[in-house]
Amino acid sequence: MKPIAWMWLVVATMLALGALCPQQTLAQVPGRFYWKTLSDANAVPVIVNSVSGNTNPFDPAHTVTPGASLDATVALAGYARTFSLFDRAAMAAVLVPMGRISGDVTVAGRTFNQSANGFGDPMIEFNINVLGPPAQKNIPDVLRYEPGFSIDLLADLALPIGQYDSDQPLNIGQNRWYGRLGMPIIWQLGPWVPGQRTTLEFLPAVWLFGDNDNYVGQTLKTDPLFQLDAHLTRDLTEHFWGAIDGAWYYGGKSSINGVAGEELNNLGFGLTLGYQINDNLNLTIGYKSTVNDDAPGDLRMDSFMVTLVFGWHPLLEGARRLKGE
Amino acid sequence: MKRISIAMVAGLLAALFAVAPPVQAQQAKKPNIVIILGDDMGFADMGAFGSEIKTPNLDALANEGVRFANFYTHASCSPTRSILLTGVDTHLNGLGNMDEWTAPNQWGVDGYEGYLNNRVVTLPQLLKDAGYHTYMVGKWHLGKSPEQIPAARGFERDFSLLDGAASYWDMTNFTAAAPKTVFTENGRYLTRLPEDYYATKTYTDKLIGFIDADRGDGKPFFAYVAHQAPHDPFHMPREWRSRHVGEYDKGWDAVRQARLKRQIELGIMPAGTQLSERMWFVPDPIVLAPASRAILGKKMELYAGMVENLDFHVGRLIDHLKKIGEYENTVFIVFGDNGAEGTDLFKMIAGKPGTRDYLFAAIHWSQTHPNAWGDPGSYVGYGPMWAQVSMTPFSQYKGWLAEGGIRNALIVSGPAVKRPKGSVNHGLMHVADLMPTLLEIAGTGYPKTYKGRELTALMGKSWGRVLAGQAESPRTEQDYIGWEIFGNRAVRQGDWKLRWQYKPLGKGDWELFNLAADPAERKDLAGERPDKVRALVQLWDSYVRANNVVLPSRSPYETLDDQLPKRVPDDPGFPPLIYKRQFMPPRDMMADPKP
Repeated sequence: MKPIAWMWLVVATMLALGALCPQQTLAQVPGRFYWKTLSDANAVPVIVNSVSGNTNPFDPAHTVTPGASLDATVALAGYARTFSLFDRAAMAAVLVPMGRISGDVTVAGRTFNQSANGFGDPMIEFNINVLGPPAQKNIPDVLRYEPGFSIDLLADLALPIGQYDSDQPLNIGQNRWYGRLGMPIIWQLGPWVPGQRTTLEFLPAVWLFGDNDNYVGQTLKTDPLFQLDAHLTRDLTEHFWGAIDGAWYYGGKSSINGVAGEELNNLGFGLTLGYQINDNLNLTIGYKSTVNDDAPGDLRMDSFMVTLVFGWHPLLEGARRLKGE
Repeated sequence: MKRISIAMVAGLLAALFAVAPPVQAQQAKKPNIVIILGDDMGFADMGAFGSEIKTPNLDALANEGVRFANFYTHASCSPTRSILLTGVDTHLNGLGNMDEWTAPNQWGVDGYEGYLNNRVVTLPQLLKDAGYHTYMVGKWHLGKSPEQIPAARGFERDFSLLDGAASYWDMTNFTAAAPKTVFTENGRYLTRLPEDYYATKTYTDKLIGFIDADRGDGKPFFAYVAHQAPHDPFHMPREWRSRHVGEYDKGWDAVRQARLKRQIELGIMPAGTQLSERMWFVPDPIVLAPASRAILGKKMELYAGMVENLDFHVGRLIDHLKKIGEYENTVFIVFGDNGAEGTDLFKMIAGKPGTRDYLFAAIHWSQTHPNAWGDPGSYVGYGPMWAQVSMTPFSQYKGWLAEGGIRNALIVSGPAVKRPKGSVNHGLMHVADLMPTLLEIAGTGYPKTYKGRELTALMGKSWGRVLAGQAESPRTEQDYIGWEIFGNRAVRQGDWKLRWQYKPLGKGDWELFNLAADPAERKDLAGERPDKVRALVQLWDSYVRANNVVLPSRSPYETLDDQLPKRVPDDPGFPPLIYKRQFMPPRDMMADPKP
């Protein structure tokens, strides 16, 4: 293959792998979300989840509603852009959740059959690498990039402007500020060659929540929630990869008007498959489910997820035009 | 009285014999001989010859010995190896053409067998007869059948790759027709390779083992260390791939210029030497995008890693010889077998989509991602641009009879060398000289017959007087050297060289160069000096007659003129269009448009 063709392929692969995709706010994020790519690249992710369980998937606190049985279709769309900051790889993104949810919810002894739909709380995200290779400011940097052992710092902030009806407990928006501080870690295992790449990835994070002063007329408080996502990812071919996913949720005890619920201490596992459809487009599908969820107060949630990420970079688009594609 | 005298003499003799050491121990032990051959290693690839590639062990040999800057091999590997091992011209020893390219009109002709024929005797055969142990590790490429392999041609112990190139990691070969490379060890064909095989490392390990196995008997040894490195594919352990990251992004022109500057400083090339033309189909690297320079530069990074890894393992051998006390008594001879490789071998091998060999390549040689370069299944060569760097300051590369195809760096060190340590010699040397030189060092000579067969006379000249510092060249001004391979042909006498090459690297006609004034062969003087052309053509004719040269009816280059872009002169800075930078008007004359 000619060198220029390689340049094209490497960068396009990085784009289409979804390396620009901001993380999904509502559950564990798929592996490879924090892989780095060329600075000044762009991406539009579309993420669709079909979720069932005893918690509102639009709420990252994962507050358990014992006995509830909820079904939701959650979609997220957004925009992300990579850039170099102090020679480190950085990314800024905005994500808007949307969708619908319905099911039986019991609050203060009363059971409601409820549903909600609309837009959720938009979230802005900032991520910067602090340990690992420098930012990929040009294509030679991309060609030479290998993550090795890299650590990022991650910050999210959700704006409480999503759909919210204070008359019912089940909503798309959360009517409170919340956000996350995290530390994405990528550990490269073996060669960084398409078809052979293997990574062990971790995302330890703390979700922090403001108060919702009008939760069906009551005050909802939530303690910080520690969440650890882990992924063992492996290329199956140059364009096809798979991952074993795990997540641990701990803390996040909620109280309503001072009546405390239980804190979370739950595990979830899942599988993800990813495929690069073309130079710009990457598809992943996955399934995940909590496992130690027999007790009524345990978090019970399972979901199918499909993500489609369209990535592009002006340089590559121009090169494509010159090639007449 | 007579009886007394006899008794006295007898007693005296007895006393003398009683105190005298054995005759063998009385004589100085013959020197060991180690030939280190780099496969496709270029003239300018060692630090001692101007390279930025780090070769401390080879440089140390150069600093303790002598460098030769006017040394010739042949233009491709098996022809050079055949001359090295026989001292006889290729057209007589069986390698009148490479086995892979023997032309129809050469089939069945003596001297064109494609392997070392039985009309020649080999250097290891003669050295073995002179009391040497004879070892070979590495690439053979001079025949595969039982009567042609190293064990049959004089080597007591060997670990040999019989093919011309291969994976460095395993037995994967290049074509579906011959999918498995063939190795021998001590005359037996290997069914598999040793555990932890990596060519350069394993060859060195094996040689050290051979030396140690025979060490007790006190005999000297001859070791032919025919390394596969740095021939493509550039395979090497990961830690050797990233020693020059980004270093070659500046491009081939800058690296060539830097190497030439060092060569002049080192006395390898005379002051005022010009670089040869950049091949007309190779772009000026400064007009390339950074990505292109990075990816092309990475190929040279890998090549540098190959050479450094080779040097490392040479160092292991040297260290071992020092450890066992044999280093001081060892003559080292180091050179590359031909010019650096500028042709895309993989393209030739893999063929086109839909072909048998393309399918084979898709399965076995398709690790094309840059991060996989160096791994099993990857095939990286570095192209004509970097081959020209390896051959700085010369023109062209392997396969061609321009200086870039046949001139190589030569280092000789050890007890045979009496010249000042680290000196540079410019005498006209040839690989065929090794046979008479090494036989002389070993205290033996070249026989007229061998096992009842009359032998062809040697074509080379011993370096004995040159190494002793008593002469500057083994050749007189009347001596000449001739070459022919693939239909390309050349002859050199004194400072003059006449060559005929296929278009477009040649003119399809005779070209004449004065190498003293123009080592880069930039100016064809055939038009100005028809007298010299005539004289050298006569020498060429003599060479043809003396060596049974049969020009091939087919050549790998016969259609090259249709494949390469039309040849144009290499005029630096042309066209100015691509070098013009943004015009910046005077600040005080700049203005916004009026409404």
